[in-house]
Amino acid sequence: MRKLIGKSMAIGAIAALALTATACGSGRDGDTGGAKGGDTKGFAADSLIGVALPSKTSENWVLAGDLFTNGLKEAGFKSDVQYAGASTTVADQQAQITAMVTKGAKVIVIGATDAAQLSTQVAAAHAAGAKVIAYDRLITNTPDLDYYVAFDNFKVGQLQGQALLDGMKAKKPNGPYNIELFSGSPDDNNAGVFFNGAMDVLKPEIDKGNVVVASKQTDVKQTAIQGWKAEGAQARMDQLLTSTYGNKELDGVLSPNDTLARAIITSIKGAGKKIPVVTGQDSEVESVKSIMAGEQYMTINKDTRNLVKQTIEMVKALQAGNTPEVNDTKSYNNGVKVVDTYLLPPVAVTKANAAEAYANDPKLSPLTK
Amino acid sequence: MSRIKDLQKNLFGGTTSNARQFGMIFTLVAIVVLFQILTDGLTLRSDNLIALFNQNSYILILAIGMLMVIVAGHIDLSVGSIAAFTGILVAKSMAEWSLPWPVAILFGLAIGAIIGAWQGFWVAYIGVPAFIVTLAGMLLFRGGNQFIGNANTIAVPEGFRVIGSGFLPEVGPDTGYNNLTLLLGLAACVAVVWREFQARKTRREMDADPAPMWISVLRMAVMVGVIVFASLRFASGRVGTSFPVSGIILVALVLAYSFYTRNTAAGRHIYAVGGNSRAAELSGVKLKRVNFFVMMNMAVLASLAGMIFVARSAASGPQDGNGWELDAIAAVFIGGAAVSGGIGTISGSIVGGLVMAVLNNGLQLLGVGTDRVQIIKGLVLLLAVALDVYNKKQGKFSIIGSLTRSFRRDTPTPPTAPPDAERETARTAVPS
Repeated sequence: MRKLIGKSMAIGAIAALALTATACGSGRDGDTGGAKGGDTKGFAADSLIGVALPSKTSENWVLAGDLFTNGLKEAGFKSDVQYAGASTTVADQQAQITAMVTKGAKVIVIGATDAAQLSTQVAAAHAAGAKVIAYDRLITNTPDLDYYVAFDNFKVGQLQGQALLDGMKAKKPNGPYNIELFSGSPDDNNAGVFFNGAMDVLKPEIDKGNVVVASKQTDVKQTAIQGWKAEGAQARMDQLLTSTYGNKELDGVLSPNDTLARAIITSIKGAGKKIPVVTGQDSEVESVKSIMAGEQYMTINKDTRNLVKQTIEMVKALQAGNTPEVNDTKSYNNGVKVVDTYLLPPVAVTKANAAEAYANDPKLSPLTK
Repeated sequence: MSRIKDLQKNLFGGTTSNARQFGMIFTLVAIVVLFQILTDGLTLRSDNLIALFNQNSYILILAIGMLMVIVAGHIDLSVGSIAAFTGILVAKSMAEWSLPWPVAILFGLAIGAIIGAWQGFWVAYIGVPAFIVTLAGMLLFRGGNQFIGNANTIAVPEGFRVIGSGFLPEVGPDTGYNNLTLLLGLAACVAVVWREFQARKTRREMDADPAPMWISVLRMAVMVGVIVFASLRFASGRVGTSFPVSGIILVALVLAYSFYTRNTAAGRHIYAVGGNSRAAELSGVKLKRVNFFVMMNMAVLASLAGMIFVARSAASGPQDGNGWELDAIAAVFIGGAAVSGGIGTISGSIVGGLVMAVLNNGLQLLGVGTDRVQIIKGLVLLLAVALDVYNKKQGKFSIIGSLTRSFRRDTPTPPTAPPDAERETARTAVPS
């Protein structure tokens, strides 16, 4: 008897639950999405804007994050600025972008940690009606990326290559010059662009025999430093000095950025050699000091302020329902489509023009005096 | 008095270890409710729940294998590297040899089996501590990943991505829900009810007291309620989304491995080895075979996790797998496994993994940066295990256990708890 009561009770409970289930009504949020993202009608002026940046390995990203937080607030938006963690960068960034979509961000700005591993999240953002802007690093293999904003990175490479030649000529009027090549992390889309830009200038000189890569390591796979890690560059330079420069003089090193440049200089100093002409990029504080002290030869000023300002301009244009301004609709193919791009011009900085180049930078200009 | 005792004994299991597991489930529920309030209802929204499973299924799959490794008294540090190594090989096999993706998945599992056999050989037959073997494996396969992939990112084809970011198709009439997800939920409800009655029948046949009917009903109502709620949530996401495919793989693995570790002799042998390997060996457990199996099994699951991550990321990259071993190990220990081996359950580890996952997700929804998220996760891990160690030293199993101590009978409860994957006991097996 008790059993029977129990059984009927159980069945009753299930039936009740099933009833509530159907009574809850069918509320599938959102439509097939894609249509929403298609035409721009603008959105509320106080909407949430998500910004997903890589881990805090370079001061550039930390600065960019602060600028975004303040800039978006000034423009009246709510902002959510996130950095990927130090060790699990890709998974963190994927989760952060998904969280931003869940929170209903209207525009998501992404500085990708790995250019090719975000397509699922970008697609989800697009399906939810958010616009996606790739910041500084192009996101590849996705049809859902809307805009790309960056400095002209090929030009960066060209400026580095040219500065390397000029610097060596100033020290020693006649060649041939011995140089070594370094390039950035192979999973960063920009690393190859910098390298190709630099080789665009250096290759003719190498072919003429005026410039010699003494170690013969000219392939991008040999020159790459995984993860832009300083210790990687230092170790590679140590090995190059041992293997190649026992009794040869090293005249110049092509380094893709400041962190690597300083690591290379540390290695050369450690070996007790004369510091050659070393290029850089990013205008990091320590490197500007190094340039003023006559160690690192040059860096590139890609004023993060301008890049963030330009990105926020794009967000504002999207908010108003306009098409953001772009100046390159041909060169940046991400493997699926050509992405509308706004390119900002970089500036080469040496000791000679440092004071002028950093005049507007509150942190760097005191260093140049 | 008797009702409370009944409830305590039957709903949360009668033994202290079950009370401890209930404590973890309670913590999980508390965290979910906390974030549900803090995020204004975002946490339990269907798109977020779907994202939660998509983001964490690969870590939870690792936790299954890691639980068995830790119960057997070992550790595996190489899972992240194995995942990355398999990921790059599978991506390359599809990009360069144009292997069809189902074949590529089998290929990936085979790689895992080979790696596992390699590590299992050193651990079980040579006797090198697993810590050392897998530390070597961590370097070996991370290097292998960079060597094969040249540190490049390699995209995988659309079909393959299903296992990491796919959903069930939309079929049948337009009910406003994803019909297949509803069907899965219904099947789960039926299974729960069927099992409850089956367990009662078993107990009667064994002449044991079946739990009072009202407790069975309450238990079923709670379970069915949770399942109905979850399936409605998962089924009501954006059109084209459902309970994720990676989640289905996870659930299938959890059910299979729970059954294996609880109800089969081979599964109980793992506990015996971890509890006291000498005694187990003298009782006829094939020590080497058990050790070989857990290491190999871990590598196969790591390969699967790696492929799911690659499928979700749409590409295999050089950073894949970094730090995964730590997430999996943390999940297992938060889930109540003992550092010395012999104790722990699959479901406990999954709950432990979910605690970390919900914490991560909730903090991200609140916009807390990864720096602070890591600090919080570190503290949670330390506190969870410290509480456990402290309670054991006090001779109690848990705070819940100590609070409810006065309700318990003085005579030990006969170990006749029904087999129940949702509420496994975490006791050391005595080999028969």
